[in-house]
Amino acid sequence: MEYLKFTPELANDWKNALSSSEPYVFKRVMDSMNQSQLESKLWIIQELIKLGVKPKRVAILAGWFAQYIVPLLYDNFESVEWVENFEIDQDVKRLSYKFNKRLKEDKKYRTLITNVMFDRIQSGMDTIINCACEHMYPMWKFRELNETFQKNPLYILQSSNDEQHEDHINCVNSEEELIDQARIKDVIYSGSKILSNKSTRFMVIGR
Amino acid sequence: MNNILCVNWGNKYGREYVEKLKQQCEENCSVPFNFYCLTDNPTEPYDIPIPTTWDSHENGKFWAYRKLYMFKESQLGITGKNFLYLDLDVIIHQDLKYFFELPMEKPWIVRGWWNDIEVCKKNFSKFKSTPINSSIIRWNSNQLIEAYNHIEKNIDTIFFTYPTIDNYLNHFFYDMYGDKSLFNVFPVGDVYSWYKGNVFPDDMEAKKIRKECKVCLFNNSGETNDVEELKSLWNI
Repeated sequence: MEYLKFTPELANDWKNALSSSEPYVFKRVMDSMNQSQLESKLWIIQELIKLGVKPKRVAILAGWFAQYIVPLLYDNFESVEWVENFEIDQDVKRLSYKFNKRLKEDKKYRTLITNVMFDRIQSGMDTIINCACEHMYPMWKFRELNETFQKNPLYILQSSNDEQHEDHINCVNSEEELIDQARIKDVIYSGSKILSNKSTRFMVIGR
Repeated sequence: MNNILCVNWGNKYGREYVEKLKQQCEENCSVPFNFYCLTDNPTEPYDIPIPTTWDSHENGKFWAYRKLYMFKESQLGITGKNFLYLDLDVIIHQDLKYFFELPMEKPWIVRGWWNDIEVCKKNFSKFKSTPINSSIIRWNSNQLIEAYNHIEKNIDTIFFTYPTIDNYLNHFFYDMYGDKSLFNVFPVGDVYSWYKGNVFPDDMEAKKIRKECKVCLFNNSGETNDVEELKSLWNI
């Protein structure tokens, strides 16, 4: 998969989202839509397809506005039934619902304000995606919080070596470091990619 | 009994800052109070050795969190119900009695009215530009034990993630969007900032004394000369 399906319905939702964004949120929205953001989400989809993964109930941790990953999941995997985005930012919730209005109205998508390093998420998720590991405490803590509530989910984790941003509090320098941080025992994919912004992004898929 | 607390840990501020704060309290508080200083170098009768139970979690960000030991008053050996915390780098303009007469259904903390709230919202997940400021906190005994216990339970995650106390408190105990805060905030005009101003956007002149306010803060970005600047203003 090398592209996002820009359907008329998606275009309508995005237009409404972008036109309703408060000025102080707009730069963040633009940052969330840059080339590197789409590259990293497409990378996830490509590898999941290659691996033959069939996600059903997907948790996205710190998914921001989730305007790329949510349609990519639904458009590429017939198996997907439910996607839930766990975010800490209240401004994100409203706009994420605008971007994904068609899916929210079909009861296929929800955003919950949750700090995933402090509170456990809904049970029964088979796939957990975190493209923001560099923004938070190492993922072993999340696994520990949730281990009795999830049935051995598949983790798809991305992090970065890009230390220039002060909110990147947990950068890594290799996929092995990301594996260690998340205590992934069964690695089915690991790799790295230099994105258009010149930073190196690491991805690990496993349990 | 009313208790006024400060914290002096490390060597940024000398003993003269504690003495000056104590003197300011004595000159500007018309209700009886006891003055205490939590310190790693206790030498005076009013000093209380600062606890060390979190020291093993030191990670380079932890030093400022020591202030929050006071949220569990029972470990300090201080009796009385009413607590007022003041940073060492403040100038008191008006009677501190005001703080002891506030309604106490919730504890109180400084809302930096000099902040643009949209900037605070924008930077929430970047761990900066917090709307609240812990330079002055007013609470009754046990009102902040929830925050203390939250730190104890999540200590490594908190010290790793949140670079400042204000940032941590903002994420868990203050609600910029609604009314789910643990804290009340001091009203507009009570507390201003020497370096940042008073009220955004209309009263933002920095380095201006406002004696109509109750307390002036010297919250800064850690520049080295700020303590000397404060000293120069002690006798205004």
